[in-house]
Order: sequence, then C-alpha cells, then structure tokens
Amino acid sequence: MEIEFGLEDLAKYPFLKEAGDYIKCLSLSIDDLKQEDYQRVLERAKHRVIEAIQKNFISTEIEEPNLEILSFPLALIIVKAIGIDYFMHRYSLAESLRAEKLLEKEKKIIISNIFKSAFNVNTIIIEHDFFDFKMSLIDYLLRATHFHKPEWKLVNRVVEKGFVYVKTHELIRLMREEIRKIIYERMKSLSLPKIPENIKEIIDEISKALPSLPSKELQKTTPEMFPPCVMHVLDLLQKGQNVPHYGRFLLTSYLLGIGKSIDEVINIYPKAPDFSERLTRYQVEHIAGIRGGRKRYKTPSCRTLITHGLCFKDETLCDKIKNPIQFGRKPVIFKKKKIDEHNSDDYG
Amino acid sequence: MIMDDKTIEFLKQTFREFYYKNSSKITAPIRMNEREFGYMSFNKVMVRHLSFRTDGELRVFLIRESPHSVYYSCAYYYEPTLPMGEKGWKGADLIFDIDADSIPTRCKDEHDIWVCKDCKFMDKGKRPETCPKCASTRIEEESWFCPLCLNATKNEAIKLVDFLLEDFGIPKDKIKVYFSGSRGYHVTVEESSLEGLDQLARNEISDYISGTGFSIESLGISKGASYDDMYGFLPLANEPGWRGRIASFFTEFEFESYELIDKDVRDKILYIYGKIGYKSFEELIKKIVNDLGVKIDVMVTTDIHRIFRLPNTLHGNTGMLKKKCDDLTSFDPLIDAVVLSDEPVKLFVYRAPKFNLKGDFFGPYHSEEVTLPLMVAVYLLGKGLAKVINSY
Ligand code: SF4
Ligand SMILES: [Zn+2]
Ligand SMILES: [Zn+2]
Repeated sequence: MEIEFGLEDLAKYPFLKEAGDYIKCLSLSIDDLKQEDYQRVLERAKHRVIEAIQKNFISTEIEEPNLEILSFPLALIIVKAIGIDYFMHRYSLAESLRAEKLLEKEKKIIISNIFKSAFNVNTIIIEHDFFDFKMSLIDYLLRATHFHKPEWKLVNRVVEKGFVYVKTHELIRLMREEIRKIIYERMKSLSLPKIPENIKEIIDEISKALPSLPSKELQKTTPEMFPPCVMHVLDLLQKGQNVPHYGRFLLTSYLLGIGKSIDEVINIYPKAPDFSERLTRYQVEHIAGIRGGRKRYKTPSCRTLITHGLCFKDETLCDKIKNPIQFGRKPVIFKKKKIDEHNSDDYG
Repeated sequence: MIMDDKTIEFLKQTFREFYYKNSSKITAPIRMNEREFGYMSFNKVMVRHLSFRTDGELRVFLIRESPHSVYYSCAYYYEPTLPMGEKGWKGADLIFDIDADSIPTRCKDEHDIWVCKDCKFMDKGKRPETCPKCASTRIEEESWFCPLCLNATKNEAIKLVDFLLEDFGIPKDKIKVYFSGSRGYHVTVEESSLEGLDQLARNEISDYISGTGFSIESLGISKGASYDDMYGFLPLANEPGWRGRIASFFTEFEFESYELIDKDVRDKILYIYGKIGYKSFEELIKKIVNDLGVKIDVMVTTDIHRIFRLPNTLHGNTGMLKKKCDDLTSFDPLIDAVVLSDEPVKLFVYRAPKFNLKGDFFGPYHSEEVTLPLMVAVYLLGKGLAKVINSY
C-alpha cells in the first residue's frame, strides 16, 4: 500500500523519505539557494540549528510548508559542516523532539502511516479503554529496552498473542528515539557538497556562538579500555542524553574502582545547564565512601547490570567476566578448557 | 569426586553401546550446519566450536567419543567453528531452562545432603556456611531429585508453555519441551520471529515470564488514589497477560468469608486492598506473582550464545535421556527418560539415600557392595556415588 502524505505532513516530518522525493521533484541544487527567494529558507535553516543547539528544541510553527521541507536538509548540511559530533547528536535530538510534539496532535491513522513509512513498523489501531495501538512483541522489544522506567518493562505491559498494547503517546515516545537515530545517521553519512559563500557565512556565524562542549575529560577518555556497559553510559553523556540513575552509579563506581580520583570523575560529567556540580560531587563522594555511610561502593556485577538493562555484553571481550572491573584484565582463552566437576552442570 | 579409570571406561562403554544400538534415533537439530557443537568427556574436558554437517557425522562422532555430555548452540552462526568473536552471530532460538535446583520443595530437606570435604562429616538438608564439626568451608552438596521435585519442575514447564502460547502468540508446533536428562526441563522455541532478539530483549522476555519487576501500578493500584478512581483500572479475569492472570487468581482466592456473588473481581480486589492496606497488598501481589511466574534460569534465556544439551543424548550424571515430551502432563521422567538396560552390574556404593527409578525403589546404601540393573548403576556412578567392581 502506498501511503499518501500531504505537503503539510512533509513540512512537519521532513525526515520522511517522501520529503526527500518531493525536493528531488523540485530538482534544486544547493547553488540555487543563492537566489533571493531562498533567503528565507536559509534563515529558517539557520534558525533550526541555533534553536537546537541553544535550547535543545526546534519550534513547531509552520509558516509555509516549502520553507520547512527545504530548510531541513540544509540544516543537516550546516550541522555536519560545523564538524562536531556532539552537535550532530544534539541537533538530531532536537529534531526528534519537534517531531514528537507534532505527532502528539495527529490522528492515529497518520501516526500509524508515518511509522510504517519511515521505519516499516506495523501498528494496529485498536478500540480499547486504555490503549490506542498494538504492535508486535518484537517491534516493541527492539525499542522499549532502551527505556528504564518500570512502566516500559514488558512485565508491566498488556501482552496478548504476540502483541503489546500501547497508548498513543507511548508509541510516539518509542518512535522518537528512532527518529533521532535516522536523522543522526543521515547527517553522519552525508558527504558535504561544495558549500556556497552565503551558507559558509552562516556556518561561521553559528560556530562562533556555540555553547561550550561537555568536559574535555569526557572527550579525551580512551574508551577502548572500558567495558561496553561503561561505554554505553559515556556515550549517553556524550550525546547529552538522559542517563539512568543506575548508569551514573555504574560509571562512577567503575571509574573510582579503576583508580580515578574524585575530581577526575566529577570532571567526566558535563557542565550542562541542568547540571549541578555540587550534587554530582556529593554523589561521587558518597559512592567513594567519603560521605554518608562511609562505605565505598563496589562496581555492580554484570548480573545486576543485566537486570538494570545496562549490560551490552561483547562476547569476546566480556568472556568469563563477572564484574565490569575485571574487563581487560584476563586474556581471552578459547578451545579446550579443563573444568572441574562443579561447573560441569552449568551447561545444562 | 574423582572417578576412577575403571568406572570412566565402564560409563564410556555403556554410552557407546547405547548410541550404537540407537543410532537411528540420533537426529540433528534444524539448521545443523549453522550451529556450534561441543561436548564434555568423562574426564571433564570441554571441547567446543565443533560442527557437523549430517546426521551421519553426528552419529559417528557420538559412537566414537561417547561423551559425558553433548551440546549444541541455540545460536546460528556464519562460521560455527571459529572462536566466539569471529563466528558471526545470525540469531538464536529462544530457550528456557527449568531446574529443580531453583525450585524450593519441602522434600529437599529429606533427600539433599551435604558433606564436609575436610572431616567428611555429613548431614541432611541445606548446606551450612561452615562445617559445624571442623569449621571448614569446603562443603559439597549432593542434591537428589525425587518425583515431587520433578513434578514441581513439570508444573513450571506447563506454566511456561502457557505464557509462550497465550501471551507471546508462539505457534504450538514451534515450542519443543524436553526433559533435560537430569533434574528439569528445557523448552526451545525455534523458527520464530523472536530469533533476532538481543540479550536485553531476552532479559525482558525472561523477566516477563518469571514476573520479575512486576509493579503493582500495572494493576491500577496507586497509593494516593481513591477507590472510585482505581476501580476502572483494575483487572478483569478475562483480560490477557499478567493482569488477567492476577484477576483470575483473585477470583479463586479465599479471603475471609468474602463471596463473589453478583459482583466482579474488581470489587473483591478493592475489598481486600481496603482490608489489608497498601503495604500488605503489595506484599501479597509479590507473592502471587512469584507463584504465577515461571522459575526459569534467567542466565540461560539471556545468553545468546548458550550451548544446550543435545536432544536424544544421554546425560553423563544420570544416564538418562534428554527426551522430547510430546504429552507433558503424562510424562514421567523417572520412567520415560530411563533408557538403559537392566543388565546386572556389580558396584561398590559409597552412599545413597532411598531413591526411585523406573518404578522401583533402591537403597539406602552405606559403603556396600550391591548388584544393580545397569540403568540404576549408571545413575549412581554418574553422580560419583559408586564405583564399578566388575565390568560385565
Ligand atoms: S558482561 Fe559485564 S562487563 Fe561486559 S558489558 Fe555486560 S556488564 Fe559490562
Ligand atoms: Zn568438617
Ligand atoms: Zn524432592
């Protein structure tokens, strides 16, 4: 079934491939943007980027559909040209928040169509007292495992015959992450065209006004040395995303465990606006055992991390590890192993 | 317990003969050449990263090596024989392990024993932290699985199948239930859309089935809310999933003299909630969820590289078969999975409680010579509780 989207829809969701097709139909090239007519497109693109970087959000007003549809790919080029991964993440997040806000106001059928078209996810609209859609178990799990609140846990959902029931805003929340990802991926794989002067000026202008990056410490940590679970938390921090409480505990206790100082650990956390250094210091010192119970907290075990959904086991590197702190300490041995009688039953 | 060479030789010979005589029954799992195989010899050497292309190859291997245990991966790989990091993971069956070890049964106090490795002191029941005689911590446990224990695991398997069918919508013919060959059941889901699930997603599946992390809010109960507000969100017995399970439970639940006539179960739930209060109600739900959930081994289900005992092979600790249960309710492992012959064998038994196998009782034995049918002999030899005196 071909899904038909109107111009309005494409303006709201310019990441849809249909929006790209539409632009192709107009057969514009980047050089055309020098023309006066497109000054407004340029302005809107610039505004998108600035809003995203400064406020972590992009306004949802639509003056003219074409303006939205055309400014989106241009904004991607601008952010890519700035050349800092952190801002690419931030920008994709802001775009996804914009889409989320717009989706909240849509009819169910539009939501369903967008998810089908953009992500090939089938959602079935249902008549139910509490729920609006059902989706297959696998589609649900592939997305919901990234969320850590109890209500996302499968065990707290209504599951029937291979389908999971969701409310509209839950479905949108599940997809927001996906929207963020495709926008980021698109930017990442973008090869920059030769950039015309007027766009270069915009890039320069924006670059000068950039907020400061997350801590230098965070950027220069050598991640190859860290286990995947710790890497994941660092990754979230780097992308300016929300880190679950237990994730912070893992990171802090791990870094302290491998011998980093309290100050070094505090500096890992970004100096974001919502970030209170005092609170972080307090938490880090607490975990280090300087405050509160005076008990130095150990790094949680792999088993515990699995339960919290924070383990991203690498089969080779995490082989035989029971605690992330052991990561990289033991050489990996394959083939014949002599195992004693106690373990012999572990295999079933 | 160290097995002597003679006993090892005897067990190997017994297994070899069994595989030889039953070779036509040894069949490979589906998509055999995408799987890793492994085995453990009676000398307890583990060999992994093997692969077989045909049933014939597998049969020849079993007869030649006659291993203590044979395993196959639930995972599918591009190159099953390469080291783990290079195999190239394609997907994996969804697997479940239900083991009597993790199900508390009262009879355990009767038949489980522990032995201090240092002073040889032994006693029934759960092992203590330290030996009461010599304070050593080197304590060995010896668990037995009586019909009661095995029945408890069977009930879990039945519950598990219900979850797979009703909640996950897995077609019946994709669900295979096996007796593990020792003390529980293995359940395998092959060729389903869930094959590609990663570890995190499998963890969600196993938490769902075991009821781990269930929150009382999903029943519509919340601390501050009024009864009127909650009523509409409470579960009904005909609802799917966990809510429905719990509502059904309450329908049957005997609480004081409450009668459900002319009312639906939501009234009863609110009534109980009102009587016992939030805290106790939360405790009650925890207990119910624990009872209704299935006691599966989480580590097995979440391990996407797990190797699992191969169906239709013998378990080296018992001499029993990992056997498919076509009708789970009527399956009796202590009869149906006992496949070795009853040829007499002379043994020296170090110790054994009274136990049941293939419909007969044996033991108890205390350091004595006995002549027992082969299937019983292997059962004791495999556990390291006896040694062979005369091979036949
Ligand atoms: S196995 Fe352990 S170390 Fe590896 S990712 Fe998981 S939790 Fe971290
Ligand atoms: Zn002792
Ligand atoms: Zn028992």
